[in-house]
Amino acid sequence: MKLFKSLSVAAMAIALVASSISSVGAASSLKGKIVINGSSALLPLTLQAANEFKKLNPKVKISASAAGSITGPQSVRKGIADIGAVDWDASTDVPGFKKFDGQVANKVAVIPFAAVANKNVGVSNLTTKQLQDIFSGKVTNWKDVGGSDASIIVVNRAFGSGTRVNFQMKALAGSEFLSKGSNYKEVKSSGDMKTAIETTPNAIGYIDLVYVTSNMKALQINGVAPSEANVINGTYKVWGFGYFMTKGKPEGAVKAFIEYIQSVKFQNGSLKKLKFIPISAIK
Amino acid sequence: MQLDTSAPNPVISTNSSELGGSIKTGSGKLFDRKNRLLFYNRAFKIACIASAAFVCLILFSILFFMFRTGVLTFRDVSPMTFFFSSDWSPENESYGAFIFIFGTFALTILTLLISVPLSIVIAVFLAEVAPGWMRNFLRPILDLLVGIPSVVYGFLGLTILIPLLRDITGTNMGDGILAAAIVLTIMVLPTISRISDDAISVVPKKYRDASYALGATRFQTIFKVTIPAARSGIMYGVILGMARAIGETMAVVMVIGNTPQLADALFKPTSVLTSNIVMQIANVPFDSTWNNALYMMGFLLLVISLLMIVLVRLLQRKGAHQ
Amino acid sequence: MKTATSGTRGAFSSNRGINDFKNRMFTVFVWGISACIVLFILALLYLILQKGLPNLTWGFIMGLPSEMEEGGGIGPALFNSFYMLFISLLIAVPLGMSAGIYLAEFAPNNKWIGFVRICVEGLASVPSIIFGLFGIALFVEMFQIGLTIIGGAISLAFLNLPVMTRVTEEAIRSVPKELKQASFALGATHLQTIRRVLVPTAISGIVTGICLVAGRAFGESAVIILTAGVTTSGEMWDFNLLSPGETLAVHLWYVQSEAIVPDAVSISDKAAAVLVFVILMFNILFRIPLWIKDRRNKH
Repeated sequence: MKLFKSLSVAAMAIALVASSISSVGAASSLKGKIVINGSSALLPLTLQAANEFKKLNPKVKISASAAGSITGPQSVRKGIADIGAVDWDASTDVPGFKKFDGQVANKVAVIPFAAVANKNVGVSNLTTKQLQDIFSGKVTNWKDVGGSDASIIVVNRAFGSGTRVNFQMKALAGSEFLSKGSNYKEVKSSGDMKTAIETTPNAIGYIDLVYVTSNMKALQINGVAPSEANVINGTYKVWGFGYFMTKGKPEGAVKAFIEYIQSVKFQNGSLKKLKFIPISAIK
Repeated sequence: MQLDTSAPNPVISTNSSELGGSIKTGSGKLFDRKNRLLFYNRAFKIACIASAAFVCLILFSILFFMFRTGVLTFRDVSPMTFFFSSDWSPENESYGAFIFIFGTFALTILTLLISVPLSIVIAVFLAEVAPGWMRNFLRPILDLLVGIPSVVYGFLGLTILIPLLRDITGTNMGDGILAAAIVLTIMVLPTISRISDDAISVVPKKYRDASYALGATRFQTIFKVTIPAARSGIMYGVILGMARAIGETMAVVMVIGNTPQLADALFKPTSVLTSNIVMQIANVPFDSTWNNALYMMGFLLLVISLLMIVLVRLLQRKGAHQ
Repeated sequence: MKTATSGTRGAFSSNRGINDFKNRMFTVFVWGISACIVLFILALLYLILQKGLPNLTWGFIMGLPSEMEEGGGIGPALFNSFYMLFISLLIAVPLGMSAGIYLAEFAPNNKWIGFVRICVEGLASVPSIIFGLFGIALFVEMFQIGLTIIGGAISLAFLNLPVMTRVTEEAIRSVPKELKQASFALGATHLQTIRRVLVPTAISGIVTGICLVAGRAFGESAVIILTAGVTTSGEMWDFNLLSPGETLAVHLWYVQSEAIVPDAVSISDKAAAVLVFVILMFNILFRIPLWIKDRRNKH
């Protein structure tokens, strides 16, 4: 007990000293605290931008967390976050979600999505109609879409996932998903989707293009392969913007941070390296 | 262990505190010291009571917090529908949580069916059979299993266990209640077995000596004497293990399939209260019936585990009277 | 224990042969099952450790994480893990121990206390996600401090309180009554008895409890994602309690579920190995004093 007490006192002392040291010797005059919450798909981008931004503005504190897209604008509305990262424009209505009044959507990136299947699947191209049939449960065997005789295992993201909203709007033209069945499951994150598709024979799902690996098969949709070039030249339609929602027009440190992400330097540098597409590339 | 000389769970009689207090230090010089000691005693007791009250306070704040939001569900959904309908499709305004309630019970019972016998065997092995060096080696290893993050268990379940189950049984997916129960078994095994091990270890040696003296074999001694004597501790281990099984989320969600359908087969993607909460809570609008229903499910989860604990305690008391 | 079978002469001698057989079967059975489970556990540990440990470098352990390029480290997350664990133990151990001592020593044996005990066990079964939601309501919405180390640590302490309480209670209860009575007979007050006799004798059980709690806190992710965030302050040795506090387990979750870095798999393997290794070290370090004490007592 005594040891604990003295240790705790020591820790407190160190904490005080450390916090006072860290707040001196800044290079930029910008101050403030930015709290970001929301889409987990945008988290790598946010974290990278936060790291770079903090180097330029040591007095700005940024803390980010992620739960689900809808958490972003909701946290902003509740006032517990300054920026809500979301995979759709939350200032308008989308399937399942009402718009958030008084919030401004700031585009930060273009995110392409891909329909993916396990390596053992023989099919490499699906039409929008075939995708609709598969994801609504009308077609349950790969042989009906030109593959071998095997049941299709549908892997879906949970309701409210930004990836799901985008895939439903852009690849399935708004048609409904199935929600039950013995060959159907839902997963919680992009990483789980990746693992599920890689390890389950005959599985089909969808994922941000960034996460597509050589251990799975990215399917062509209507004959167009999912690739950055096809998104930019306008032939591949399954993509969406990533947004940072703010309460009204962004100000101060928040504004500087969003401007940093939208800057040519970041968009053509780190953002590209993270395999997102710069917003300026889309006409 | 050096504690082997006593009754297993001495019921501390309340008058023992008076015993300590009743000893008078006759000399006046020592009077201050006695007062100080009395003060310390009282202060310590109050601190202890406060801590215990604090633990209860946390539980009640959580219950209140969940209930406050959860009860709003019943503005839009009748309790009958919520508890007994098996149609969960919030997109279409149907909020029947029966599937998840059933799934939670089924999963917990299946997990306990697998893990309790295994854990008790391990506990008996550690406490009675294994040589000393092995004990010292195995105990930390079991403790270690508790600390492995549930994400790691889930990931191993997803990448190793499920393909294995698929190969063995020839099902299409392998996700379902059995996969979840196996993962949970590995997670609760150390909790139940270590606590049972401690409980068996402190059974007084004289009990065993008496049993052996009557000519009982080790088998008879363990089953007729040691385990019954350690029953309270083992029960406590089972309760803690069960509690963990009911409340575990991150690992279960990766192997159960997360599909709102009744878990009537071992291999069928299904969903339990925790996995459904964790899948959806981040993705629903605040202030929606859906969100309220999820909080209600959280509240229900707490009530279920409290009920199960009461039930186990009642069973235990009944067993003790026989 | 080895001499147990020699006691077969006596009241049970009429069916001695069957009992002998049963006894032997039982021993074989226990050894068999235990060996299987132990092998399984060792295989599991080997699986986790062999993928990560051989590739560990100091650069990885102390380095800053990276979002794009290979070679990111886990330094700040690892530091936060220890720091947060320390703070949460600082809260949970004293509180849990005194609540446990109350239940074992002071509490009258009535319905009310039975109820308190059920509360404690009930709290132990609260899913971590609910502690997370509760943490948000408390620290982010009520106290408005945002996602911080202190918020995460206190939520973790709440999560661990019940286990600590019950383990302490169980350990103190199993202290022989004779020891306690002897202490009272020597004129010790209740507090002195608890401090000098009960706690030292029950220390083995209490340490088991601390190990369980520390291990769980170290590996917990759901609570911390919600209350302390998925970022670190980006520098090592940041003792500020109001910094965002991503821990190693959260980093592992993040890398596994969302990270884009090309070496994500290798990072998650290594992070998992570090986690397991650290927990192993906890268990051993906490236990060494007990072993020494045990040995001293035997001689």
